[in-house]
Amino acid sequence: MDARRVIVCRCEDVTLADVLEAIEEGYRDLESLKRRLRIGMGACQGSHCLPIVARILARKTGKGFDELYIPGNRPPLSPIEFKYFLKESEG
Amino acid sequence: MRASLVVGVVGGGVAGLFTAYYLVREGFCDIVVFEKRYVGSGGSYRCATGIRASFTSREHILLMKHSIELWREFSIEHNVAYERGGYIWLLTRESDLEAFKGYVGFQNSLGVPTRFLDPEEVRDYVPSINTDNILAGVYDPLAGKACCFETVLTLYKYLREHGVKFYTSTCVEKIVVENNCVKGVVTNRGFYEADKVLVAAGYGSREILKTTGIDLPLENLPRHALVTERYREHFKPLLIDWSSSSYIVQVKDGNFLIGAEVPENPGNPLSNRIDFLYQAANTWTRYLPWLANVHILRYWTGYYVMTPDHHPVIGPIDEVNGLYVATGFSGHGFMIAPVTGLNMAYWILHDKPYDSIASNLSYRRLVEGRLIKEVAVFG
Repeated sequence: MDARRVIVCRCEDVTLADVLEAIEEGYRDLESLKRRLRIGMGACQGSHCLPIVARILARKTGKGFDELYIPGNRPPLSPIEFKYFLKESEG
Repeated sequence: MRASLVVGVVGGGVAGLFTAYYLVREGFCDIVVFEKRYVGSGGSYRCATGIRASFTSREHILLMKHSIELWREFSIEHNVAYERGGYIWLLTRESDLEAFKGYVGFQNSLGVPTRFLDPEEVRDYVPSINTDNILAGVYDPLAGKACCFETVLTLYKYLREHGVKFYTSTCVEKIVVENNCVKGVVTNRGFYEADKVLVAAGYGSREILKTTGIDLPLENLPRHALVTERYREHFKPLLIDWSSSSYIVQVKDGNFLIGAEVPENPGNPLSNRIDFLYQAANTWTRYLPWLANVHILRYWTGYYVMTPDHHPVIGPIDEVNGLYVATGFSGHGFMIAPVTGLNMAYWILHDKPYDSIASNLSYRRLVEGRLIKEVAVFG
């Protein structure tokens, strides 16, 4: 299986090869991998990629899945347009 | 200086990392960084990433001018995204025009080439802007932005490659002092020896320094920011709506980042507030009507660590040999980080700052009531 063709994060187009390279570079925590690869920064808020990358990282580092700190969720749950926050009086 | 000298850095944010970076550049690598969460986890990863020298105090202007030169060197050498796309202040009130004439004159006198733009000229930089309410813009062509993620990760990697040790998830609880000299730090994982210790832990610096009898007058002020989905580059400058202290900037990856001021008291806990979203939406859709259909992707909060005069506290703590501080950046810690690091490295290795004016920002000024005056704090 070509790691270049395995998509780990669909929002930000991150492949398995990208994740493995970043771990090789020495980024061995999810917060650093998030900023290195943009996993968790797309429209799905990391709901798909973060558990997958956590699993890859757990395998690579020998740590348990539960030991890896998963980055916190930030609102909104799904993307929302600015127009829903316009006030008539000020608009 | 004995060979076994060890420098401990408390706080893995940009102030501590750039200090370690310039220590390494001076040939000194026996450095240990203690970080209570993860590297970059405080203001460094949450900031708006703007970088400018257009301030209203001599100290800020001269140090930031040096800092933007260091940003350029650092970005070229390490291939970190940094660009001088400018800042534009959007002025909508007659009273602001007079005030900014004063600021621009002062900045020009110190070599910062800020200048007024008429509303049409603002449109040259931001083609889609609605200029109806704009009386004038003030443009700083030397100002710009850098990617905070690349900056922190590049420093983190460079430092580890040069033998700097990092203890993350490690909380410093106490500085150990004997006979007025630093001996080390006590952490939740035990005691570590250090001959010199830099406390660069944001507001956390306050509790840590209290263990040596020093109480810095710091306050933690919550601030709010959001990013939109990503777009191709639409405009380069960071825009500030002066009447509401709100800003918008398109960051490296294409997201628009907006900060807007909602009333907060120092010490308030960080919490997400719906009124922030209303404030951001109403301020910026007036200028950029297309924004109404853009999606908000994420909203987060962070702290400005404020001092009474809104200037940093950097330099040695005279009461304790080997103890140094770098905190209280009052919202400007990212942009000033390279020059902070260079000066801290000089203080630590050579007992004097690189820029003599950095001495004006010592802890003593707060004790002796020699506050530095700045008219404007934003961004």
